[in-house]
Amino acid sequence: MANPLNLPMVPRALRNVVSRPATRRYPAEVRTPFEGARGKIEFDVSTCNYCMLCARRCPAAAITVNREERTWAIEHLRCIACNVCVEVCAKKSLAMSNEPRKPHTPADSRDGHRPGHEEWHGEAPDAAVTAARGSGA
Amino acid sequence: MKKTIIPFGPQHPVLPEPLVLDLILDDEKVIDAVPTIGYIHRGLEMMVERVEYTEMGFVVERICGICSFMHGMGYAVSLESIMNVEVPERAKWLRLIWAEISRVQSHLLWLGLGADAFGFENLFMHCWRMREEVLDIFEKTTGGRIIHSVNRIGGVKRDVSDSELAAILARLQELAKAFEETARIFASDPSIAHRLGGVGVLSAADALETAAVGPMARASGIRTDTRLYGANLYDQIEFEPVVETAGDCLARAVVRMREIPQSIDIVRQAIEKMPKGEGLPLENKPRGNPVGETFTRLEQPRGEVLYYVKANGTKYLERFRARTPTFANIPAMIKLVKGCDLADVPNIILTIDPCISCTER
Amino acid sequence: MDREPFLARVEGYHKGGWRLALINAASVLTADEAEQGAVDVTWAFARDAEFEHIRERIMPGDEVPSISPSFSAAFLYENEMRELFGLNVTGINVDLQGQLYKTSQKVPFSPSAIRARLEANAAAGIASATMPVAGAPAHGAAKPAAIAPAAAPAPAASKPGAAE
Repeated sequence: MANPLNLPMVPRALRNVVSRPATRRYPAEVRTPFEGARGKIEFDVSTCNYCMLCARRCPAAAITVNREERTWAIEHLRCIACNVCVEVCAKKSLAMSNEPRKPHTPADSRDGHRPGHEEWHGEAPDAAVTAARGSGA
Repeated sequence: MKKTIIPFGPQHPVLPEPLVLDLILDDEKVIDAVPTIGYIHRGLEMMVERVEYTEMGFVVERICGICSFMHGMGYAVSLESIMNVEVPERAKWLRLIWAEISRVQSHLLWLGLGADAFGFENLFMHCWRMREEVLDIFEKTTGGRIIHSVNRIGGVKRDVSDSELAAILARLQELAKAFEETARIFASDPSIAHRLGGVGVLSAADALETAAVGPMARASGIRTDTRLYGANLYDQIEFEPVVETAGDCLARAVVRMREIPQSIDIVRQAIEKMPKGEGLPLENKPRGNPVGETFTRLEQPRGEVLYYVKANGTKYLERFRARTPTFANIPAMIKLVKGCDLADVPNIILTIDPCISCTER
Repeated sequence: MDREPFLARVEGYHKGGWRLALINAASVLTADEAEQGAVDVTWAFARDAEFEHIRERIMPGDEVPSISPSFSAAFLYENEMRELFGLNVTGINVDLQGQLYKTSQKVPFSPSAIRARLEANAAAGIASATMPVAGAPAHGAAKPAAIAPAAAPAPAASKPGAAE
């Protein structure tokens, strides 16, 4: 017969009664993400030269680049935050933010809106060239 | 007596894993068990036809959420061996450190699930609270809690500064101290001993016969551990694999419990031995496409994992095969389940630490 | 394949205290007419740090004898080979009768199934691996020495230590 007073869990359980909970009241209380955490991709349209390397190397095919129309788009819901596009970008237009994306709700999908879809339009090539010439003169 | 067939899983209260077993019962005794694979079969091995080898690493990492680091590392090591890429020293040590930390988190996860399965929910929460801290270490160093994506063919993508490594070690050693109390509970609580002791005994001969690997074999007195064979810098680490002789469910729990402080000690040795400094090389990029084939063995938290990679000089691999530890342990599990009581089936299945996502790929 | 010498060799591993590490099948993708439909099967055994394998090329219609009399744990791999590669494995101790894998496509890894998939991909313009073409240099012909010869003792790359 086992000793009925052999209750090794009791001290631990008693300590729990008086200690703070280990969990957080999410979403009211959100932990600041760690510095190195991979949250979501951020894009700077002004430096991009539309070389399409990011789109080609993305393992999840989340990035679409259109060189003619100078658009750059990402599907955040497809993105696996592997950091490959940030590594290959020669122009440093891409960055990995440590802030994760907020979860989306059904309301985000209403009216044909695509949740997680983010798109940037660059300046028209002619305008950009003109602007560059203008500043150089 | 009429035989009864009871489906065990894919949804079962005791097991978050979608294991599918048909138990054939004679009264309360299990006389046979028929496994089915494929409830969550995702065809990851078939994906080599459409995913280039450079990107396949991210797929392999997703075979399983718990051993994801080891899967990524195993894939990288396999390709490196085919392509003759020499991995920089510091990258190898970082891989070893992350691998051992993932062993700690996997065992903590399992101890929690085990406790939950035999009805010790309080203990479950304690194990998982500790595991969260280990996941925090992963998030700080690799950027991801579960999917780390730091392994590339030829090295690793991120460095961890020496001061940060020292802080991680201090944190892990604190954790090991806190874990002592939990380990004491596992070792001395009468309800645990009653529920697990003497249940599902696997003899050493049976373990060899059924080709059991990892903690499952070590709990039956077999001194087997892929780390002993020295690959991936383990030859520079001093350790003795944890071996128990009882072979029952309790022994399997105790093996995993004792491996947690051991892994933390391996992390300490690795941090002492690794080359120090900032800006050391971490990656040697491979050139060309791989040609050749290789087998790679690694010791995952659940046991030996085997990768077979066959490359034919194109961007796509010809065959990729991962033989995960749970796949190797299923014959042993079926052997144990035969002849036991229905009420003991959950505990026996749980103590092999089944990872069905790994098995079904 | 020669059944008796093969089974004797397997039994030798069993007696020597080896553990069955893996039975792996891989469809042979080649333009060579004589090799169409062939599957390479590798039986790998481990004893501590030692790791050896037997390789046989299975031609369509060949029988693969089960090694479950020697290694009872082989049944999972053998059922898998039968269901995913369509190999005719005979004498398995636990015959799961095609119930192990629940895949939507029957025998998805057989050479003909792979060929059909790759050709469909090519026709649809989906980026994927391609079947080798007759006349063109065979895949991997640049470095044939790197591929292990069939049924040889463990090639350098398959030794556990070789993986760095």
